[in-house]
Amino acid sequence: MVKNLKSITILALITLVTICGVTSCKSSDGLTKKEYKARVEQATKDLNAILNNETEWTLEEQQARVNEIKQTDFSKKNPEIVEMIERAEAKIANEMAERDRLAEEQRLAEEQRLRELEEQNKPKTGLADFFNMIANAKDASTANGYIAEALKLFESPDAVVLIRLNNYGDYDRPTTAVNYLNYLKDQKKVNVNVDNIKYNAENKITELELIKK
Amino acid sequence: MKKVLFAIAFAFFALTGYQAFAQEPELSPERKQAIDSLALEKVRDLSKYVKLIGSKNTPWSEANRVIDRAEELFAPDAEIGVSSLSKTKIEYYRVRQYLERLMRLNYDRVEIDWYKIQYVSDLQRQPDGTYVGVITIFQTFKGYDAEGRLVYQDTTKKDITVYVKRKETQIGGRLIGFWDVLLGDMRVKETTQK
Repeated sequence: MVKNLKSITILALITLVTICGVTSCKSSDGLTKKEYKARVEQATKDLNAILNNETEWTLEEQQARVNEIKQTDFSKKNPEIVEMIERAEAKIANEMAERDRLAEEQRLAEEQRLRELEEQNKPKTGLADFFNMIANAKDASTANGYIAEALKLFESPDAVVLIRLNNYGDYDRPTTAVNYLNYLKDQKKVNVNVDNIKYNAENKITELELIKK
Repeated sequence: MKKVLFAIAFAFFALTGYQAFAQEPELSPERKQAIDSLALEKVRDLSKYVKLIGSKNTPWSEANRVIDRAEELFAPDAEIGVSSLSKTKIEYYRVRQYLERLMRLNYDRVEIDWYKIQYVSDLQRQPDGTYVGVITIFQTFKGYDAEGRLVYQDTTKKDITVYVKRKETQIGGRLIGFWDVLLGDMRVKETTQK
């Protein structure tokens, strides 16, 4: 009986030691030492890759990987990994901000390009259109607005305007762009056609020749 | 003898040459028509200027600018006659003075219209090459008070002498021949109530 009791006690002790031996190797994360070591190695490798720009992951994938690494508590045994996590997160945040900034710049540049394209494709108001708009303006103030716009086509408000009466070399007294445009406003009539225009290098009108209708 | 013949020949060519220089060729009917129309157009332009200057709706700065433009149409010493139904005497003013008085007329609303603008004496070429003619116009004038009542109206017939002279100017390396139209005195011929 004593012998049996001894055997039972030994068996119980062996069982207890076995159970304790197995459970004592698990960390607080429920990882074995081997698993933890593997995680440390993988985390170190991945964090180094992120910090040294040696990964092809996108920034979102990098951030996801860092979040995954953060699931394991390395603070007690491997505080260097915690420090690497902080650096990696700061680096990813900076790169994301820079990427967003560049994307915004590109978006604005594209908007500008489209605006310019639209402007170019917009039918331009020609000189003859301005003549009619000025002559038919509902009041002096509106006409003055058109005159200001039309004058932008000229090198200066004093650019020469010649009015040809016929094809025999007869002209009216030469005038200037600003005076002629005001004349249209006052007289409320356009009785000329544009015959010839001379431009400078900036594509501004230096001399305008009109012919009576 | 040779010297005498040479002198006669020189005098002949000199005289005929001078005559050719002094007498420019007559204008073709098309060109004459162009300057007739140009002079008439200047008077029509003046009618718009007078209407703008007289109108109380024209902003002050605009009216002053228009006065400058209207004055440019006239010869420097030109005068404009002013008549009234209440006075027998016709007053004559220098162009600028007339236009400034017109701007300041003591009515709340002024209506001025010119009509029947036409030649009474066609442009005739003068010995110095200037073309001179007379254009007549009829002007109706209506002045209203603050209540919108018509307080004065008349119709005046006026004659305007026009001078058209050929001039040349250099523009952009090109010699441009132009017709300079200048209006002379504007004389009152008659004034009636209607």
